[in-house]
Amino acid sequence: MSVVTATVAWLTDPAQWSGAGAIPQRLLEHIGLSAVSLLIAVAIALPAGLAIGHTRRGKVVAASLTNIGRAIPSLAVIGIVLPITAAIDPQLGFKVYPTLVAMVILAIPPILVNTEAGIAGVDRDLVESARAMGMRETQVLISVEIPVALSVILAGVRSAATQIVATMTLGAIFGSGGLGRFLVEGIAQNDDGKIFGGVVLVAGLALLTEAAFVTIERAAAWRGREHPGTNRRAAASVPT
Amino acid sequence: MDTSWILAHLDELGLRTIQHLGLAFLAVGSGFVLSMGLSVLAVRVRPALAPIIALSGILYTIPSLALFAALVPVTGLSILTAEVPLVLYTLLIFVRNIVAGLDGVPGDVLEAADAMGYSRRTRLLSVELPLALPLIVAGLRLASVSTIGLVTISGILGDRFGGLGFFIFEGYRHAFPTEILAGAVPSAVLALSVDRLLVGAGARLTPWSVGSVAR
Amino acid sequence: MRFSRMLALGASMLVLLSACSTGGGSKPTIKIGSVGFDEARVVAEIYAQALEANGYAVDRAGIGLGNRKVLLPALESGQIDLQPEYVGSGLAYYGGAPEGHADTNKELFADALKAKGLAISILDYTPGEDTNAFVVRKETADQFGISKLSEIGAVQDQLKWAFATDCPTNPLCAAALKAAYDIAPKDVTLLDACSGPMAEALLQKTVDVAELCSTQPEIITNAWVILDDDRATQPADSIVPLVRDDLLAKVDKAAFSKILNDISEKIDTPTLGQLYYDVAVGKKDIKDVASAWLKANGFVK
Repeated sequence: MSVVTATVAWLTDPAQWSGAGAIPQRLLEHIGLSAVSLLIAVAIALPAGLAIGHTRRGKVVAASLTNIGRAIPSLAVIGIVLPITAAIDPQLGFKVYPTLVAMVILAIPPILVNTEAGIAGVDRDLVESARAMGMRETQVLISVEIPVALSVILAGVRSAATQIVATMTLGAIFGSGGLGRFLVEGIAQNDDGKIFGGVVLVAGLALLTEAAFVTIERAAAWRGREHPGTNRRAAASVPT
Repeated sequence: MDTSWILAHLDELGLRTIQHLGLAFLAVGSGFVLSMGLSVLAVRVRPALAPIIALSGILYTIPSLALFAALVPVTGLSILTAEVPLVLYTLLIFVRNIVAGLDGVPGDVLEAADAMGYSRRTRLLSVELPLALPLIVAGLRLASVSTIGLVTISGILGDRFGGLGFFIFEGYRHAFPTEILAGAVPSAVLALSVDRLLVGAGARLTPWSVGSVAR
Repeated sequence: MRFSRMLALGASMLVLLSACSTGGGSKPTIKIGSVGFDEARVVAEIYAQALEANGYAVDRAGIGLGNRKVLLPALESGQIDLQPEYVGSGLAYYGGAPEGHADTNKELFADALKAKGLAISILDYTPGEDTNAFVVRKETADQFGISKLSEIGAVQDQLKWAFATDCPTNPLCAAALKAAYDIAPKDVTLLDACSGPMAEALLQKTVDVAELCSTQPEIITNAWVILDDDRATQPADSIVPLVRDDLLAKVDKAAFSKILNDISEKIDTPTLGQLYYDVAVGKKDIKDVASAWLKANGFVK
């Protein structure tokens, strides 16, 4: 039970909540870097997924890139990027860019897969009738496909977000900020309270992220309830 | 890029690769067996399903770094400290996929098997598992690739572990990019190769499902 | 050389996979540990190879285990038997107040260990010393006109600092700097002690003041300035082998001690610098550097 008491003591210690390198700073660093990584990943993967799902072309390329992105160990990415970016920018290139790149690579596959599968899985009849009504392709995408596929797409973003929050800790091994610093420092200082305090914070943040996105998804699903056109089978086979 | 360093260390690179695969194989194998048991339990005892999935979900949000660190006071620097977290992480992937696979077996097929007098065990082994195979193989693939990535992080436990991750840590400590790359690139290649291998194996095992299952 | 290294790595993997520890034979297996930075690892490797040359089996799993806060508990619990420790820092870890002389520090250290009820012995110390050094680039020293730690307090918040990861809890680091020099800067990055990244950070100007080991080769190669510890907060850190008494009980104590003491005698500060250089800058393998040194000094054939 001493680990539990040490953790509680660390989390409730006011000294941990103010000053440099304290919980608020690390929380902000963690959330900030996660948010930026997610935004970049969405900016890359969402349009790609929409295009591929809608046109049904480029699936093979997308699948290959997704596989590669999923398979590459994040630590390896950080390790490869670090010497390159540190040489370019000794400040950010050392503390921020390697982790950022690794997290973006981590986040692209779930967003891409879900977006593509969601869009491609929209009931073809619905799409065809929209076209028959004279809608242009982009209109079809925006007015029909995206609303119907929204919950699947958001599920992909949710998966990406929680993975980023949890895996971001790796960057701390190489000098990045964020909650992972508590893990690395706790190990070095043999401080169980710090290690597990860090764990609680990261797990808590990840679960909060999950909950936040689930809420967004529910809201989107509620709004999309007039469009019962999603092919349920395609959605179910997509990992969320 | 210091190619002379790489050439001088080819033997060590080879041994670390073997170590890497060994650690991963052990974890995926144990995780698979464990998950099989858990999944069958979850499917039979419905109320157990939600807690099992929820628990493994929470486990998944715990950074691997923390799990490794948490075990050191308990299991020291033994192979258990490296393997237990690796196995735990495979649980979520396996359980979710195996349960989905078993759940996906059509009800009338199960009824037909029962009608033919299959025991629960025979039914499981001869009917349910083969039909669940595509999703099980998909889970195997995901778990293997993810474990190969996590093995690199086990390098935090010291020079004995980490597989190729050892070179990433060492290279970082020496600010020596060649060494970092010597660990990072092969581990990425390893993960990709295993991924491709399992896709091929999966296609051959379940030729009826090629092209239609979750990638 | 290559073959024996392969064999060693292969053997350690077999141990890994069988999870069985070796035993038996007339001489016990000695579990050696060390902190993570290169100098400590080379010295530990030198001890290891010397002991092997004298017929002992050595388990190197503890080399590079972590820093002092991880390592000393491991020594206390018996996870490792032998560790090259820095006499002043080790003493401070156990609550003692190190002084200028290695002799005094060794005695104080032995007293501190006894006071804690720990059955650990200290063998002879090396003439070579490695102290914690707070280092700046030459331009920084010139720009602010500083050469001593007592001078940097006034400008500390204009600079970016890097300390070792265990600094906040190391009595010789954060606490000492604050007490003696009123140094408690705002912009602090924590990095691995005495490591490449620490030196790189100073080199790339990511930070302006770094905590390095005084024998770290990058200081010389980059002509950096070690700020003078004019209020004597950092002890003279000679290396001493810490050995568990229960290991000493299993061996011929005199012969065992002689092996290590003879080696320690030969390790002076230039030697430490050279060993450190060969590994950190020369990128040579720790095992090769250790065996080359042992051969050159006549300890092995």
